[in-house]
Amino acid sequence: MTLQASTQLAVKTCEKLGADEVEAYAQRTRTVEVVFERAEIQSERVKVQQGIGIRAVKNKGLGFAFSSDLSKQSVENTCRNALSLAKTAIPNPEWVSLPAAQKLPKPPTGTYDKKVAALSGNDILNLAMRAYDAAKQQDKRVEIDDGKFSAMIAEIAVSNSHGIDATQKSTNLGGYLVCVAKEKGEVSSMAFEYDISRSMKFSPEKIGKSVAEKAAASLRPKTTESFVGQIVLDSDTAASILLSPVLSSVNADNVQRRRSAWTEKLGEKVAVPQLNITDDGLLPNGIGSSTFDAEGVPHQKTSILAKGVLKGFLHNSFTANKAKRKSTGNATRENYNTLPLVFASNLVVEPGTKKLDQIISMVDKGIIVRRFSGNVRPESGEFSGIAKQASYIEKGEIKYPLKETMISGNAFQALMNIVAIGKKTRPTFMNSYVPPILIDRINIVSK
Amino acid sequence: MMLDTLVKCLEKSSADHVEMRHHRRHTLRISIRDGKMDELNNGFVEGVCCRAMVKGSWGFGSTTSIEEKDVVKALKDATSLAKASKPKKKRLVKLAEVKPAKDDYTTKMKRDPRKADQEELVSLVRDTDANVRGFSKRIVSDTVVFAVIDDDLAFASSEGAQIAQRIVRSIGSVMAIAREQGNLTSAYEAIGEQSGLEVLEKTPLTQIGQIAAERAHKLAAAPVAPGGMFPVILENKIVGLLAHEAVGHCAEADLVYGGSFMAGKIGKKIAAEIVTLVDDGRHPIGLGTMKYDDEGTPTQKTVVIENGVAKSFLHSRETAHEFKVRATGNARAWNFEFDPIIRMRNTYIETGDYTLEELAEGIKEGYFLKGGLGGQADFTGEFMFGTQEAVKIKNGRLGESLRGVTISGNAFEVLKNVDAIGKDFIMRAGMCGKEQINYVGMGGPSLRTKVLLGGVGK
Repeated sequence: MTLQASTQLAVKTCEKLGADEVEAYAQRTRTVEVVFERAEIQSERVKVQQGIGIRAVKNKGLGFAFSSDLSKQSVENTCRNALSLAKTAIPNPEWVSLPAAQKLPKPPTGTYDKKVAALSGNDILNLAMRAYDAAKQQDKRVEIDDGKFSAMIAEIAVSNSHGIDATQKSTNLGGYLVCVAKEKGEVSSMAFEYDISRSMKFSPEKIGKSVAEKAAASLRPKTTESFVGQIVLDSDTAASILLSPVLSSVNADNVQRRRSAWTEKLGEKVAVPQLNITDDGLLPNGIGSSTFDAEGVPHQKTSILAKGVLKGFLHNSFTANKAKRKSTGNATRENYNTLPLVFASNLVVEPGTKKLDQIISMVDKGIIVRRFSGNVRPESGEFSGIAKQASYIEKGEIKYPLKETMISGNAFQALMNIVAIGKKTRPTFMNSYVPPILIDRINIVSK
Repeated sequence: MMLDTLVKCLEKSSADHVEMRHHRRHTLRISIRDGKMDELNNGFVEGVCCRAMVKGSWGFGSTTSIEEKDVVKALKDATSLAKASKPKKKRLVKLAEVKPAKDDYTTKMKRDPRKADQEELVSLVRDTDANVRGFSKRIVSDTVVFAVIDDDLAFASSEGAQIAQRIVRSIGSVMAIAREQGNLTSAYEAIGEQSGLEVLEKTPLTQIGQIAAERAHKLAAAPVAPGGMFPVILENKIVGLLAHEAVGHCAEADLVYGGSFMAGKIGKKIAAEIVTLVDDGRHPIGLGTMKYDDEGTPTQKTVVIENGVAKSFLHSRETAHEFKVRATGNARAWNFEFDPIIRMRNTYIETGDYTLEELAEGIKEGYFLKGGLGGQADFTGEFMFGTQEAVKIKNGRLGESLRGVTISGNAFEVLKNVDAIGKDFIMRAGMCGKEQINYVGMGGPSLRTKVLLGGVGK
């Protein structure tokens, strides 16, 4: 059965069984990956996965059942299961309805690449080896600890009882390496580098070269005194320290449940005027781009922060109904066996004007952080943890690598203390596109 | 039944060594947020994987189909990947000997969740949610979850192993969020055991709801603990995290190989003499308990540190061969989509004989740190993790509660500084991520040591 045939069958079956509303989401993926472990290639994998998740509604009771078996009999069983759960569930008075069908936008460009879809195990192995060789070539002292390179082709189908009936295909190519540099019995702190793309525009050499440089540059670290100063966050650390509380705060579900620090801040200034953030589900080549979201609602571009002012929240159909507005197309599912939550499609921070070295030259006394291992509490914005792969900066110059140093502060205050925003964004985790960001007044505690 | 299919497919293999696993994971999940039913889910994910070795090179294939032709296809995929990648591999694999077992094992339980009354479970979650929200006006939001993860596993190898296991895990959690004058804080408590629904009789969900609500309420108005090096009591719930995150990972042979803190330290003193740390594959209620690991090796209680001295690493068959020791049964896979890698099972520090009051008596000025949050560690033993609450200790007496902060340090320094161990041992549920996630147990008693508090200072 095709994916779409299975979701259509599920909708029909549940309707016949007496469901008030029904939605079926099916997914099929094929992943080819190469895994590094203990400095060498450990394993190659080909993984084929498929399944269907069915939401059935009866008298505002919501049941959800899933199965990895797409046979007719299994889909019908799963329907019965979903409906029986819907009848057992405590009715949710806030339930309004599943989304209605809307005209879909033109598919964003660059989300499916035939060449990526055709990559074989051997091709991925070659990509991985190119990265590995580049790292070794860059610096003899470098040792790969672990890493993974993978290509995925995914196909999804969504159908519901209000006429949504859509499918889409996508490809992803990604890889990362973790390594250390070893010299005279000293082991550097772990360095991490990655790249991610929807197409063959992907450079394993860059990953290898950069990870080796980072590891070697962190050899012979020193400590510094404790002080309150400026920190330069690279894209990755800016995403985890600054963007993750932002994402959590603009999630309409958190807002409605008063778990968001920005529950009552719409229209207020929450960051410096240089900061503009949008969520763009149609971003060309975007990691999170596609025509529609996990409920079949069209993707769109939503303004979140404009000139530092909070402009909007991200919705799926449930939170949108609750707020009596339209969904922003931000329903996301980890997989077919989970319910749609609210998440960013592509969270894009508008780039600034300064190159990284220009930003560094602005710092009188501070540090640059390339990895962060710590906690960020999304409700309060409090963060504290260890700055890894960090270096000390004085009078605009990187002086030396730092031993592990604690940093702590508050992300919401930090948004008001942004000094500069970098020019070059890159995709990070959370589907966010973030440039390096310089923030002021952070506690830097030496160990 | 699936074992038969696996064995049949094995006959079609052309590889030197093959392991086949079937995995059917059935999940039931009930979640209520802010008084409204959020999730009532169940379903299953099922699949088969094959790991094939050709001349010391591994290949892996998996499929969610359990039809024989698709399983054979996955086996062929695995075999051809193994062949193709062999020339690129500098390290070729050999496996430590393990006697192929034929066995059947099921989690010991009194109330099988397959016979559960779903409505009863739903009302349990509903009552807990109502209690949490009713605790005080400060509680603005909550989530109560109860879930059962019920795994059917089959393992067959070309060496002749045929093992069926059913592993049942029951887990509950409560998150409470409190607000006071714009100050938001959260508290989290959980239960989780390898067992049936009797876990709910041992520690009722409402009880952990009460703890979470109380803590969130109290801390919403409390200041954050200051930074600096302090003598502390680490609550038993945090000690498990320390044992797992900061120490246990350093004993995983693949990380030892990469130069972890414990590399070359067997037989050497790496902790205070009163510290004994084990990774136990058979702890009666540990979430990481299995009779056999995912390579078919029988699990065991592995002593990692005995009276302060490093004793053993944690091994797969592959690393056991390289280190010339016996496999410890630590090769685990999250599901059929992954090949097994070295993972901890239930990691804990053995119990001592101090009461909480006695632990506090030794501290002039310090903190009693309670409630672990997420943690991370490097294989150098450098760790950090969040704590929910820091209770002031002055002259041996417990005082006011402050909001917890991240603590950090080198785990082995922390273990060297342990000078007293409590008797309040608990085993807790955990999730660990290492390329793939997995369920683990983390445990221990409260203990006294020194750590660096990374305060959000003023």
